[in-house]
Amino acid sequence: MDVVSTGIPGLDAMLGGGLVARRPYVVTGPPGSGKTILGMQFLMEGRRNGEDVFHITLDEPPNEIKENMSQFGWDIDDILILDATPDIRAHKKKNVIDVGTSLDVRAMGDVGDIRKSQQIRSLEVSIHSVQKMLKQAARDLQKTSGRNFTRVVLDSMTSLRLFTMGGEDIPILIESFLRFLAEQEVTALIISTPSSRNAIDTEFLVARGEIKLHKWIEANAVRRGISVERFRGAKFDEQIRPMAIGAGGLQVDPVSEVRLRGPMQLAIDQDYLEGRIIEEILLIIDQVLAQMEQADKMGVTTTETSVAITRSMFQFNRKRYSEAMRLALQAKALLEEKLAARWRAGP
Amino acid sequence: MSEKLPTGIPGLDHMLHGGFIPLRPYIVSGPTGSGKTILCTQFLMEGLRRGEQVLHVTLEEPPNEIRDNMTAFGWDVGGIPVLDATSDIRRFEPTPIMEISSEEEPTPFGMLPPRIRKSPEFEAKEVTIHSLQNLLKVLFSRRPVDRVVIDSMTALRYFCMKDFEAGTATQSFMRFLSESKVTSLLTADVPEGGQLPPETFIARGEVRLHRLRDDTGIKRFISIEKYKGSSHEDIVYPMEIVPGRGIAIHTGGSRD
Repeated sequence: MDVVSTGIPGLDAMLGGGLVARRPYVVTGPPGSGKTILGMQFLMEGRRNGEDVFHITLDEPPNEIKENMSQFGWDIDDILILDATPDIRAHKKKNVIDVGTSLDVRAMGDVGDIRKSQQIRSLEVSIHSVQKMLKQAARDLQKTSGRNFTRVVLDSMTSLRLFTMGGEDIPILIESFLRFLAEQEVTALIISTPSSRNAIDTEFLVARGEIKLHKWIEANAVRRGISVERFRGAKFDEQIRPMAIGAGGLQVDPVSEVRLRGPMQLAIDQDYLEGRIIEEILLIIDQVLAQMEQADKMGVTTTETSVAITRSMFQFNRKRYSEAMRLALQAKALLEEKLAARWRAGP
Repeated sequence: MSEKLPTGIPGLDHMLHGGFIPLRPYIVSGPTGSGKTILCTQFLMEGLRRGEQVLHVTLEEPPNEIRDNMTAFGWDVGGIPVLDATSDIRRFEPTPIMEISSEEEPTPFGMLPPRIRKSPEFEAKEVTIHSLQNLLKVLFSRRPVDRVVIDSMTALRYFCMKDFEAGTATQSFMRFLSESKVTSLLTADVPEGGQLPPETFIARGEVRLHRLRDDTGIKRFISIEKYKGSSHEDIVYPMEIVPGRGIAIHTGGSRD
């Protein structure tokens, strides 16, 4: 499978080389965790290879992105940007027009001050209009140079969903948009934050992988991390790795480990499953201990079992529940075999 | 009761005390990226090995990508017929939208074109739960199928049903599968601790996949949440996804 570099060497290492080409991915994380920078770095990498790239912004006006990125010394002037930040809503009973082609695609280099809302009519952004604009831009590119876009960033789906769409068809519209990106054969990053813990948002369902940025406070300092949560069709580094925002953008250390203690443990938000597994491990350990007592009375040696169960408790203490459970089950099976053999031998 | 159907995963057969009771619908639930598609592929490959007729219906991932992913994983899925029930790009212009037609045919993974199927310019194919059910009915009547995978019910509910009909349409679809005398695995994307979708209540059994982080990485677990008409193990077992081998469940001791 073709592999596409993200522009961040450490992240490429975690992905076993890079993203699988021509598929859409989700980038998620709390505010200020570096999602926009990651997106920009991904596009910059494309530019460096002479690719045609496309940025769709809904969160930040292009002039601000340009300013923010200049701190990294990046020249992003060649990146095509679609300014889909919504206009000030005209709170009159005037017709709000659906953008169509009056939205604005331009090279980053041509971005000046913030675009002023029109006095008469304000533009409404919809997923449909964004798709139409991208399609138009792709056609133009094809016509003028015979080339195709290879990388697209949408920043962010959260805004597109919150501000610009109404009605029950949202999942269908988003699925269709991602299908459109896949058929354009671009590698796409969709920046998004889950809207609920209870159900899965469409882009998370349809995307072929998920990159998650983490941010937490430890010893009065902001810490950052990055993880690949899933990645279809390829092996990946399953650990959370430390990350920093430095002079060159995001820097990922693909070797060091992030300690899942205290604040980090809370930040990754997985208490629900833990509780259940903890209960079950404790139950098995309890059973095994009771059976060991019985075995002792019967003169059955339990050395192996007690080694396994002690190891299990040790892993349990370190919150490595998978290992703890595996060892507890092993102890249980070992002891049951011994006891069964004892029974077969008779009194 | 007829003999149980092996799942293709020894540890899971152990948990299910032999396998699935045939001709009934079951749910494979779990968060995205927990291994549902891999589990289902193993189920179908086991069917092929036993000389059964199998069918993979994909609603989420384009079939060419599933094939590439499984090939990278070390499996030859070329012989599994796949029905591409992913919708075309929706049209906003007043051009005709066609429902997925009953002319549609499954294609073996091995005969798919290398790249994604492109939506035609003028007529977009839309998949609804009704059109899919009709199509499956035609396919089943032409040639009986033993094992079916519907991947996923979540996509079917999100993209192919109207909100108001979600409950009844799901119920009738699962009823249709039971009456068609197939053993079916339906996948459902459920975040850990999230709300359970209607299909989990109607299905005769639910295999759930879990993922939990510790400081050595992502750890995976598997449990049987329910299994009507059969005894089963009810512990959450640790499992791993091993390239080429698939889902490996640690059930303890020598059986591992």
